[in-house]
Amino acid sequence: MTKILPKADLAGTIDQWRAEATVYGPVRRGDIIDFQQLTGSNDEALTLDANSRYPPKALFLPQSEAMFRMNGSGLEPVEAASSERIVLGIRPCDARACQLLDGVFAGTEYTDPYWSEKRRQTTLIALGCTDPCGTCFCTAVGSGPFDDRGADVMLTDIGEAYVAQAGSAQGRALLSRLQDASQEQVDASSEAQAAARAAIVKPFELDDIKETLYGLFDDAFWYDVQQPCLGCGVCTFLCPTCHCFDIVDEAQRGERVRNWDTCMFRIYSQEASGHNPRPTNVERTRQRIMHKYAYFGELYGEVGCTGCGRCVRYCPAGIDIRQIIRSSQARG
Amino acid sequence: MPMYIARTAVETEDQSLRSVELAFQHNSDRERFFSGYRPGQFCQLSIFGKGEASFGVASAAWEGSFVRFTINKIGVFTKAIHEMQPGDPIGMRGALGTWYPIEEWKGADIVVIGGGYAFTTLYALTKHLLDPKLRQEYGDLTVIYGAREPGLFLYKPEMKMWGRRDDVTLFQTIDTPREDWDGLTGYVPTVTKELAPRADKAVAFVCGPPVMIKFTLPILNELGFPPERIYTSLERRMKCGIGKCGRCNIGPKYVCKDGPVFSLAEMGRLPAEF
Repeated sequence: MTKILPKADLAGTIDQWRAEATVYGPVRRGDIIDFQQLTGSNDEALTLDANSRYPPKALFLPQSEAMFRMNGSGLEPVEAASSERIVLGIRPCDARACQLLDGVFAGTEYTDPYWSEKRRQTTLIALGCTDPCGTCFCTAVGSGPFDDRGADVMLTDIGEAYVAQAGSAQGRALLSRLQDASQEQVDASSEAQAAARAAIVKPFELDDIKETLYGLFDDAFWYDVQQPCLGCGVCTFLCPTCHCFDIVDEAQRGERVRNWDTCMFRIYSQEASGHNPRPTNVERTRQRIMHKYAYFGELYGEVGCTGCGRCVRYCPAGIDIRQIIRSSQARG
Repeated sequence: MPMYIARTAVETEDQSLRSVELAFQHNSDRERFFSGYRPGQFCQLSIFGKGEASFGVASAAWEGSFVRFTINKIGVFTKAIHEMQPGDPIGMRGALGTWYPIEEWKGADIVVIGGGYAFTTLYALTKHLLDPKLRQEYGDLTVIYGAREPGLFLYKPEMKMWGRRDDVTLFQTIDTPREDWDGLTGYVPTVTKELAPRADKAVAFVCGPPVMIKFTLPILNELGFPPERIYTSLERRMKCGIGKCGRCNIGPKYVCKDGPVFSLAEMGRLPAEF
């Protein structure tokens, strides 16, 4: 089912969606694009021509989230938001990241109710990338600028309109009120998609990356690549697939909360005895890269990186994961 | 699940280790716990305002309707638990993780090697094996247990009893000789090498500080224990206990749910990040 959403109708369509669901989209505030609820008053700041600085994972795994409250007599659950949600303009890499994280949080052994409930309530309308940026490398990690695996709807910008393709029953329901796209429009979207795919330079081939990295486990390679690292953790906080969290008590609020955490901090793996299995940035950098490019695949069958390029773009020390992978292949 | 402190006991002369025995507030929780618990597993204990932390279980199911933990006073949480009194409420999740798989080794000799306050889950294992109903299903039971000095041994009354029993052979060793100690002296790996427990039909369970484990494992190899018959319990900082929060991984394995008990054969397949 292929539909057409003229850009002139976007505002009205968002209004229609808003009658039935809470709608989120990438909103520009100053220099930063971040996913916010579209309330009507901020719709003008909706920004669909560049990806957000912060990945939309926070819509499912908030940076800080209460797990339960303590009252005088015992635990009480935190009331979950009950409304349906629509996320407009999530990029394929970030939608794909949500799908990868389902492996972690909705796994068969233990299901995480906080993540899973939000996922179940949410329809993802992805916007494919007709104008990929220089740091995008989705095609190298088995994805692409129009990878629709994590999306309920995939939009392709063809100038005056978006061509909309549903990838799930939720997506079809959402698009049911739109007009069908013409053959000309469908052809235009195919051309735009092909051009985008061709525009992304593949910085590396995955090949036997897992074996390569395992082979370098004890190599000085990790010392070399981590040298500029400040241990600030930006790469992990802005990563759409990083999901590590800490659990702490906010006693004054009477809440136990989980907060994003990062393997790039010493305290993350520091044991009470003082022993730390990852005592320096060398081991921590190795953990970050190997989790994405070796361990994640062993657990879930796919590389745990979607090639969004945020860690490359925002690293204050200029560390480039594409270069790390290339160097490992040259070395190994 | 909601628990309360039933009993507490100071274990070591320096007051740093204390055992707490927790009892269940609800019978349904008790039944669920004991239907699943096996020695080697751990629980998350929770004191609201102080947080949550992981502790190995130091009791066998047949001892009674309680769960024992022996806790070193080392941080905010453990200080709070040391100050708790009988009747105080406390939260518990578990039992979590893997166990010492003795059910796979019926008929074998059992060699238990522990050091310092990591002896807790090995104590649970030994106690479990001393269940009169279970003991006859295994061969010789040998325990090698080391501590820095005599006052730092845990479970002293029980150790005295084990020393007198004929269905368990206990060797206790301290690091350096002292006038008030007439038992063995020397580090656990050295003592293990001297005692040379027979390996031909034995399984070894080892737990202790990282340096003890590191030097004991090669000695067991020399004595003829293959990696499939050496088990150890690993420690990692943990939060969730169910393989989601990330921090306790060794390669693709999470110590909280794929461990804490691993055979040396399994560890050999993991990257060496210990």
